[in-house]
Amino acid sequence: MPTLIPDHRRDLEIRRYPTYIYVVAPLVSLILQAWLPLLLKRFMYMDLPLLMTIYFALNRRSPIHGTVLGAVLGMAQDGLTQGAIGIHGIANTVVGFLAASVGIRVVVENNVIRMVMNFVLTLAASGIVAFIVRVLLGQDWHSSGLDELLRATGNALIGAVVFPLLDRTQVRE
Amino acid sequence: MESFFGRYRNLIVLLAALLLQVIGLAVQVRKPASAVTTGLANPRRDGAGVLLIRLWAVSLVTPVERTIHGAGQGVGGLWTNYLDLRRTQQQNKDLQATIDRLRLEQAELREDALQGQRLQALVKFQESYAYQTLAAQVIGTSGSRSSRLLYLDKGTDSGLKPDMAVITGDGIVGKVRDVFPHTAQVLLINDQTSGAGVVLATTRIRGILRGNVAGQPQVVNILADSRIKPGELVLTAGGDQIFPRGLPVGVVDKVERDAERGAFINVIVKPSAQLDTLDEVLVVTSLEEHLSKEQEADLAKSEDLKGPEVAAAAAEAARKKAALEMEQRLPGLTDPNAPAPATVIGPDGKPMPAPAPIPKPLPVAHPDRFSPGAAGGTVGSAPAADGAAPAPEVEEPKATKPDTSKKPAAKPSKPAPQSPQFSGRVQ
Repeated sequence: MPTLIPDHRRDLEIRRYPTYIYVVAPLVSLILQAWLPLLLKRFMYMDLPLLMTIYFALNRRSPIHGTVLGAVLGMAQDGLTQGAIGIHGIANTVVGFLAASVGIRVVVENNVIRMVMNFVLTLAASGIVAFIVRVLLGQDWHSSGLDELLRATGNALIGAVVFPLLDRTQVRE
Repeated sequence: MESFFGRYRNLIVLLAALLLQVIGLAVQVRKPASAVTTGLANPRRDGAGVLLIRLWAVSLVTPVERTIHGAGQGVGGLWTNYLDLRRTQQQNKDLQATIDRLRLEQAELREDALQGQRLQALVKFQESYAYQTLAAQVIGTSGSRSSRLLYLDKGTDSGLKPDMAVITGDGIVGKVRDVFPHTAQVLLINDQTSGAGVVLATTRIRGILRGNVAGQPQVVNILADSRIKPGELVLTAGGDQIFPRGLPVGVVDKVERDAERGAFINVIVKPSAQLDTLDEVLVVTSLEEHLSKEQEADLAKSEDLKGPEVAAAAAEAARKKAALEMEQRLPGLTDPNAPAPATVIGPDGKPMPAPAPIPKPLPVAHPDRFSPGAAGGTVGSAPAADGAAPAPEVEEPKATKPDTSKKPAAKPSKPAPQSPQFSGRVQ
């Protein structure tokens, strides 16, 4: 339990990053999300913009920050599709808010917790997208449970690699 | 009041963000009645306008994608051409052997190919159309599973416009949707919002091709028809003003009954073009016929030499095809359940042709003894002993009142050309 609940000042502090990281990291995630399918074909089991939303929301521990970042990144994702803008925007907004709210209560430097968070929040995002498409838009939505599990697993594994790299860019006071 | 906003600041921001986006969704996705009936959720005409957010996102992402794509090709070329030379010697020997073998095969095939080309050119030249195309490279995707889009490295600067057809040598790929200065979106044929007019090559059934939820192209709104079989070729119909007529789309993979409308079926199509592994595509920039000078000269020459023969052969083929189709569609004029006529074996042991039908006399208005069926109306004669056809006898009516005690004299007439089995009499 001590590893789950933050009880030190260091665990409770808000992590800060250089300004360019807030721009470069999401932009790179968007570009890779659009370009990697050319290489990985149908094995594109990842959602990098969502991963960035979760990371910054967890570490900034600010629901407002997570909400805004999720909305911007999600709408940018939607901008690359031919569909309505707002589908991924709403999903990432909710996920950003949830991640930041949870980040206040748990230790976010634990890699296992991060993987679990990535897994669960990716599934939550998929559920929200499915809800928007089917219920709000009234369109068909097809996705197998296995695909969603693989995508959540992929995000969890990639997060385990990428999050420590992003940690290195933190501003240490 | 300040304490309220301060206390619930996070939640208010969340709700505001969600509310704005939901309103945005509602504005973008308005469903008129026609769209509801056709199942289209976004009736906006392709290329009618680009949202600012989309323009920003594409402007941010595609230049970097183009750079990465170019750099990747450069690094790949550097590795392949200069660094990875371990098996080059063996490959060189293998290739030399292959070349020797291919030269021999080439000499044999050349004559056949030339002959085939000439014949093929004569028949197909009149039907062939050449379109102006522009080659483009695929530099990115939408990055979303629910949106089957590609990004090309050409845009309005290269003359691309919305609704241009995108094809490969194997078949059609999709159509240009939104066009930006240096890039363009291609909506693949397996996307749910796509649409193309197609025709099944054998059964000539027309339909609309669009993607299903699983990302497979399918022909929809077709009445159940048992003639549609897997493997049938699917071609573009040409009526959508986007794809030229006759381009290969794919082959029928399977036929599924429409879950919502029982009388309709969905024909799942296996696309000819490899939609998942596209690197280069052709954009059809003009649907007008465009023959080169050589093609026009060849066309004129072939028409001079073989024009009448080709035209006659084409007319004959068209006539036979039309007759075959009519035969398949119209009910038969003969009774299919009628028994087959018995085969008659002749004296030489060979089957003989069926005898001509015996003409039946018309009913007589005032019957007398000469009428058919009247007693003593005919004079019988024994058949020939040698089996030859007996000569039919014709009775000559008397001019005077006939004597019933005496049979009228029978006069043989000239034998009619008929089958040997015929033993009846002509009266």
